[in-house]
Amino acid sequence: MFTYYLKLSWLSIKRTPMITALMVIAIGMGIGVSMTVLTVNYLMGKDPIPSKSGELFHVQLYTYGEGMGNSRVDDEFPYQVTYQDGMNLHQSDIPTRKTRSLATGFSVIPTKADQTPFLESARAIDSDFFAMFKIPFIYGEVWNKTVDVSPKNVIVIGKELNEKIFSGENSVGREINLGGDLFTVVGVIDDWQPTPRFYDLNNGSFNSSERLFLPFSLLPVLELPSWGNNNGWKTEIINTYEDRLRSESLWNQYWVELNTSKQKEEYIDWIDGYISEQKKLERFTHEKAGVSLKNVTQWLNYNTVVSSDNSILVGLAFMFLAVCMINTLGLLLSKFLNRAPEIGVRRALGASRRTIFFQHLVDVGIIGLAGGLVGLGLSQIGLMGVKSLYSDYNDLVQMDMTLMIGSITIAIISSVLAGMYPAWVICKTNPSVYLKIQ
Amino acid sequence: MLIMNNIKKVFRTDLVETHALRDFSLEVNEGEFVAVTGPSGSGKTTFLNITGMLETFDGGSYSLDGKDVSQLNDNQRSQLRNEKIGFIFQSFNLIPDLNLFDNVDVPLRYRGFSAKDRKQRIENALERVGLSARMKHLPSQLSGGQQQRVAIARALAGEPRFLLADEPTGNLDSLMARQVMQLLEEINQQGTTVIMVTHDAELARRAQRNIHIVDGQVSDYQKLQPVLNVAEPETASA
Repeated sequence: MFTYYLKLSWLSIKRTPMITALMVIAIGMGIGVSMTVLTVNYLMGKDPIPSKSGELFHVQLYTYGEGMGNSRVDDEFPYQVTYQDGMNLHQSDIPTRKTRSLATGFSVIPTKADQTPFLESARAIDSDFFAMFKIPFIYGEVWNKTVDVSPKNVIVIGKELNEKIFSGENSVGREINLGGDLFTVVGVIDDWQPTPRFYDLNNGSFNSSERLFLPFSLLPVLELPSWGNNNGWKTEIINTYEDRLRSESLWNQYWVELNTSKQKEEYIDWIDGYISEQKKLERFTHEKAGVSLKNVTQWLNYNTVVSSDNSILVGLAFMFLAVCMINTLGLLLSKFLNRAPEIGVRRALGASRRTIFFQHLVDVGIIGLAGGLVGLGLSQIGLMGVKSLYSDYNDLVQMDMTLMIGSITIAIISSVLAGMYPAWVICKTNPSVYLKIQ
Repeated sequence: MLIMNNIKKVFRTDLVETHALRDFSLEVNEGEFVAVTGPSGSGKTTFLNITGMLETFDGGSYSLDGKDVSQLNDNQRSQLRNEKIGFIFQSFNLIPDLNLFDNVDVPLRYRGFSAKDRKQRIENALERVGLSARMKHLPSQLSGGQQQRVAIARALAGEPRFLLADEPTGNLDSLMARQVMQLLEEINQQGTTVIMVTHDAELARRAQRNIHIVDGQVSDYQKLQPVLNVAEPETASA
């Protein structure tokens, strides 16, 4: 019977092309707007590393002095850690993997004659960073673990940068000039753009990932500048880089991989011990001094990556869809009532109310499907608009399969819901009224 | 067999109550050809709609082939209608954007026949009314008489026990009307019970039995005789 309903729907569309087109446009606009907003909202808040998000923890230490705190969050913990705390935390062997992290950057001096130097952001990290965050390599591999302790001028570069500097060839072993220092390429990673950029929300939740990764151990050697946020809370005299490394300034991040809850408990105990030691050294003087471990999802929520404004916007977008569907409902009612005489005939020939009801739901389902496809196209245009307005959202303009299927599903479901009343009205109509007058 | 006892049907609005049928009783035996006559507004069509289960009734009882219609839900009534009853209307009521094949196919679809069975039945039905060569034509490409023959084919394709015809010749000229009437008689002779509402006294005379409805009730035969100018039939009307 379903194929018969499809055939009847097609005939119905051919019979009323204008009214059908109006409905498809109305649904398409509603879906287009709502899915544009929903896509941005969904991608903002989605788990960027679902297979491991529960095992990767961002470490926060309450290192503020008395009367100080981070007023942006309820627990007042600082987002970042000091260099010295990062170094000390790195002494623990409890985590399966661990990495310090700093946003930095260089002037890249290409060897190609036709290229001019350009600025490139970089990230100073430990070797575990790649395995922790599941970053795929195209060529080579990460530097040896010993480099995390004994600094060496080695570097991992991104695929795009490899294209730009080395024309996409296997550049492992080649040298790259960063601000006058030569680095040997040990690995080239594939495209890697976690969205949101969870590993450093403090420096732009939706910024692009870096394309240069160098050992964190080089930080004091090369006196790497910070290209990220620096949160100073204490009056300190900083004249040299050494002063900066010793300061209470918060400018590094620290991530650990803890695979079991027992491991997590042990690690918290270890840090509590570290805090006690620091208290004895008259650091961590605040009564709240302590540690907070947040997994990826908790970290995203903590940083309100998806603000309540976005949720309101999603609500408004779906209200717009509702308005479009109410208009569609009116058009459907008109379309269906025009067909009442035919329905009278069908009822006389043996169609039950239920049969007529389902026939009309298939009708609206087809219109919804068409509206969903139009909406999908409009949402792509909407996403391009978002991209052109907000450069930070460049990586949010891709609709994944889930959202595409979701768009169509929402269009069909909302159309069927809107069509239920007109279908009910038409199937309740007394057929005998129309049989005499047709 | 069709048995109606004291059927009542009232149409109500906020201001008016219209008694379309009052204590209407009738029995129609299998294989009969019954003509139903009466003035406009007398309740002929209401009777036909109730007979075809397109309308419910407010009182009395109605049994069709032994089934108490008042006890059936919409699905069961639709199924019974689809299996046992064929409809022919004054204005043919063909679906304009379906060709003849698809028009005849409509009741068979709701009956759940296989595609092969449906095709066979449609071809047979259209052949019976002499339109098998025009299966792919749209109703608008046919004359009124031809359209009514398609409607008859549609009504017959499912081999119903009862054929309900509401002024089937009302929109046809006299030649076409005679042809359609002849077809109905043939169908009746092959065993289908025909109940035909008509204003045409000549056509009514050709039926085996005549029922005259006045004010929602079966009129007594004496009142009917001068109108139809026929001898009293052996089978008394209810």
